[in-house]
Amino acid sequence: MADSSSSTKIVLESNEGARLDVERIVAERSVLIKNLIEDLGEEAVMAEPIPIPNVNTPVLKKVIEWCKHHKNDAAQSADDDNDNRKKTTDIDEWDQKFMQVDQEMLFEIILAANYLDIKQLLDVGCKTVANMIKGKSPEEIRKTFNITNDFTPEEEEQIRRENEWAEDR
Amino acid sequence: MSNITPLRRAPTAGGVGGGGRGGGGGGVVGIPKVTAATAGQKYHQHSTSILKTLQATEMLDTKPVLPAEIIATILDYLPVPDLLRFARTSRRYREMVYDDTRWVARLKSMGVWDEAEARRRFEDAVQRRRQQSVSSPTTPVGRGQGIPTAQQQQHHPPQPAARRESLFFDADLEQERRQQELLQIQLQKQQISDLRDGFETMKVSGGGGGGGGGEPPRDVEGLLLVVDKARSIRGQARQEYGRIYGALAPFYFDLARAKTHTDPLVFKVFRDPDRQARMLANLRAFAKSDWADGAEGRREKLEGMTGIFESAVLREFEQGYEFWDVDGRMKKYAHVLEVLNPGSSAGVELFIQKHPIFGDREVLANAMDCVNQAMADSITLEPSRRFFEVLGRKVNEQSGIIGRIFPRPERVFWGFVDKVREEIMVEYITPLFDDAHQRSIPSYLRAVSGIFEQTMLFLRTLTPPKGGEVDQEAKAKEIALKIFEPHFDMYLQDEIDTFTAQAESEVGEWEKKLSEQEATAESFYMGSFANRQADKKDFLTSFKKVVMMPVTVLPTSLGLPLGSPFASSKPAAVAVAGNGGLSTPGRAESPVPGGTPGDRTSSPIPGKAFADELAAKAALMTSRLEGIKSLFSIEVALSLVHGAKASLGRVAVFIQLGGQVGGEAREMCETIFVTLLRILGNGHVKPGFDKAVTHLSQYNPREVSEHDKGGVAPLVTFIELVNVGDLISQMIDVFYEQQLAQPKIADRNDFLDPAGMAKKKFEQMLDESVAAGLNKGIDVLMDEVEYICATTQSPTDYNPGGITAPDSILSGTIPGMEKAPAPKPPVGAIDMDIGPSKTAQRIKDLVASHTSMLVGSTDKSMLDVFNGEVGLRLFTAVCKHLKRQRISTEGAIKLIADMNLYFEYIRTLKNKDLLAYFKALRELSQIYLIDAKHAKEMATIIADGDRFGGIFRAEEVYEYAERRADWYQVKREVERAMYGLECCVM
Repeated sequence: MADSSSSTKIVLESNEGARLDVERIVAERSVLIKNLIEDLGEEAVMAEPIPIPNVNTPVLKKVIEWCKHHKNDAAQSADDDNDNRKKTTDIDEWDQKFMQVDQEMLFEIILAANYLDIKQLLDVGCKTVANMIKGKSPEEIRKTFNITNDFTPEEEEQIRRENEWAEDR
Repeated sequence: MSNITPLRRAPTAGGVGGGGRGGGGGGVVGIPKVTAATAGQKYHQHSTSILKTLQATEMLDTKPVLPAEIIATILDYLPVPDLLRFARTSRRYREMVYDDTRWVARLKSMGVWDEAEARRRFEDAVQRRRQQSVSSPTTPVGRGQGIPTAQQQQHHPPQPAARRESLFFDADLEQERRQQELLQIQLQKQQISDLRDGFETMKVSGGGGGGGGGEPPRDVEGLLLVVDKARSIRGQARQEYGRIYGALAPFYFDLARAKTHTDPLVFKVFRDPDRQARMLANLRAFAKSDWADGAEGRREKLEGMTGIFESAVLREFEQGYEFWDVDGRMKKYAHVLEVLNPGSSAGVELFIQKHPIFGDREVLANAMDCVNQAMADSITLEPSRRFFEVLGRKVNEQSGIIGRIFPRPERVFWGFVDKVREEIMVEYITPLFDDAHQRSIPSYLRAVSGIFEQTMLFLRTLTPPKGGEVDQEAKAKEIALKIFEPHFDMYLQDEIDTFTAQAESEVGEWEKKLSEQEATAESFYMGSFANRQADKKDFLTSFKKVVMMPVTVLPTSLGLPLGSPFASSKPAAVAVAGNGGLSTPGRAESPVPGGTPGDRTSSPIPGKAFADELAAKAALMTSRLEGIKSLFSIEVALSLVHGAKASLGRVAVFIQLGGQVGGEAREMCETIFVTLLRILGNGHVKPGFDKAVTHLSQYNPREVSEHDKGGVAPLVTFIELVNVGDLISQMIDVFYEQQLAQPKIADRNDFLDPAGMAKKKFEQMLDESVAAGLNKGIDVLMDEVEYICATTQSPTDYNPGGITAPDSILSGTIPGMEKAPAPKPPVGAIDMDIGPSKTAQRIKDLVASHTSMLVGSTDKSMLDVFNGEVGLRLFTAVCKHLKRQRISTEGAIKLIADMNLYFEYIRTLKNKDLLAYFKALRELSQIYLIDAKHAKEMATIIADGDRFGGIFRAEEVYEYAERRADWYQVKREVERAMYGLECCVM
């Protein structure tokens, strides 16, 4: 156990009650936890595990894995976040591999990232989903995302024609 | 566990946003999320029903559902075709995809969305709709567009009909403005693709690009214009973007795939470099709206291609440049470069860098000519003027050429001028200054100021290509500033140093000369003074004219240059001082308020007549002023003012630069002025006054041999001095007005302004000196009066009948004077002349001449005080004198005449209080007229206090009465009458 403040351990508790030890610097990738520590003070946070009620154990582990790998990334401020999203940077190799999970897990990760407020992880997740959609037909998309088609065939054809300019490049 | 409650509450209370987002997720898409555990539970509970089992199984298959925000984020990362395919999955997602802001963002990223335009369009649309609903309910028919509009309505049932109608009408208007050919093509296409939601052009180009491969689409011009023509319409952003996408995407993705620079479709479809450039520029804009995965790579590719293209174009431009193919290749490729990359300076830099002017022998003059062609230690600015002339001509020539070549010539032109500044002007100017500085400081000063003038002139005569909005004056100042800034500090320091040194040496030299003459001066000036006395009046009047002229002229016509009367009057002096050549050009070029610089030498008409007259008078003045030359010299003052003016003129040209440098220049002007006053005032004028006052105080009328000239030498000198001082003061005032206040260098109303303060101090010093001198002067004047009284008043004047013997004691005190003022009236003979006595006449003349000398030279209030004092002292002197005389009844007539003379004189002073004294004196003189027989009446008059206006008391009058020649005869009578009367009264 390291003693320095940045490597202080914090305990996270998943919705199933599993407790996971995390270095503070790792946990602070999550803006939610970071703000929590700032608000309550270090001692209070140290004393008790932090409950993460919306996330189950495997997903939480996965998220922590990502945070560990990215613990030394430059922290993103909330302001340039928008611009960064526009400036599409491609997903790096490690993240690509990291995201090679089944779709359910992918969505869970995205939801967890959203809940824990980990912008970069959320972006990576969204990009991965976008890549999944790429090149799929509407029917395939529906299947993937479990969407009910509420168009009549005519309506669908109408939309297709409306946007014909975008096809067949 | 007691403190776990706050901890649990914390995540939601912390309000990081995660909770809110997560909470919104539930209701997004159809089937709710069921975790494995709950599903298993349900399965266990309802295992009996096969239907329920099936349901549960299905639920097990369901995936976690993402909230809308996350879906929206995902959509941001989708390439456009996938995005639109996604729209086809369900109504909800179509809404999400079609959301206008999503497309506006893309247009914005391309830089083609104009919020103001969008708002205007929206407002127009609303208004039109309102009008429409009033005038006609039917769809407006505009240039054959009515049909597709109607069709659109049919095919968009979910959209509110009215809105679409108005928007399409709006679009119609916009399209009317398009080129006719484009419209026709559209109309054709509309007939074919009637269901295309207004994407006619895109369809054509998209099909052409995709299907034909190398085959150029027909609507090439439309492709090029697609970005420029993008409109900002709310609710239509998707269509607009679609139009652009349809036109550009094929080229864009093709280019991204291309292996070599010959591959891309862009270069195949368009052969013309201009069009290629336009297309590339469009693609670059378009690339900014590509947010999908891999966009970075595509952009890089595009930039790479653009770079290759640009360098190719640049090469062409360079070749054209080598052949000086101005209107052909250079013009063409300059435009291509501009289109490709607006604001890029590659071509411009090439043009400027390689410009032949920088190697032009004709332009590159030798700066040393300015020094070499001049005489020793001097400088001539003629070669530099020629240099700037040639340069100006060449640059203006280039201006025309730049205008022909470049699409935005102004920027190029100023860049070019800047380069000219750096390469040619600075190269010319710096060595010139350095050399001049080494050789002689005055010529350096002249060079800096003169070259600056020439530079500004040069920059102002430049004719930048038309169509620019850059302020040439501001630009000229900026460039001039860049050139002169490195020299400026040194220049200012040298300027003030030189001026101070010059001024001080001038004063010092003068003083040295003076001290050499010191020994001879005294006798010389006493001796020569007598001869000049006759000219005094004329001298003073001419003097006054010189002084008054500029002052009276000043408020009305400011065109009269200050320097000219003095300059023309003293050319010799100035030339001798060695700064004649120095000041003249400087002044000729200095900006004159209300007159062109050239007018400097020939003054305007009113000044001209004066100037000639003054030239003559001033020459006279110089010779006549020799007496006071030993005190201070107007010549020195003039040359100091000239020096200051020259310096000031040189510095003042920099003020126009404004900013810090302008401010420093302005301060320097004031400093020069302050220095001028300091040296002139404390170094020159004040010692002169001090010396004059010393002379005055040493004056003793009994030691001076000649007294019949009607003046007290030192006092006259002093008064002359006052006049000269006043002249200098007025000169300074005019100088201040014209050189500092007029060009707004110094603020007249700012009492803290250093120049104004210095001027006030100077004037104050002058006033104090004058006051101190006058104080002494009065003493001296009265000494003289008393002396005249004592020496010239013949005893027979007031006592023609009496014998001279008893009074011989008086005249006997000064034996030397006995014969000089020969007693005029023959002894014994009764002088029947009833005019005033000679003595009185002389006294009056003496006093009057001195007081009148001061008129107009000093302050009115000071003059009043002076006159008052003189009058009072004169009164005392006359009284004293009277008490020494013996007056007979016959002589009384003369006495009365004398008193009348004094009275008349005093009246001219216009001093009421003073007049009362002399009135009393006049009354008093009448007591001598009373015949001895009327002693009683005499007593009445003596006792009558009112008669003398309270000036004399009865006792005093009695004392005067004692001076009657027959006093001892009448004394008893009078006394009896007086005291007897008194006794009666008592």
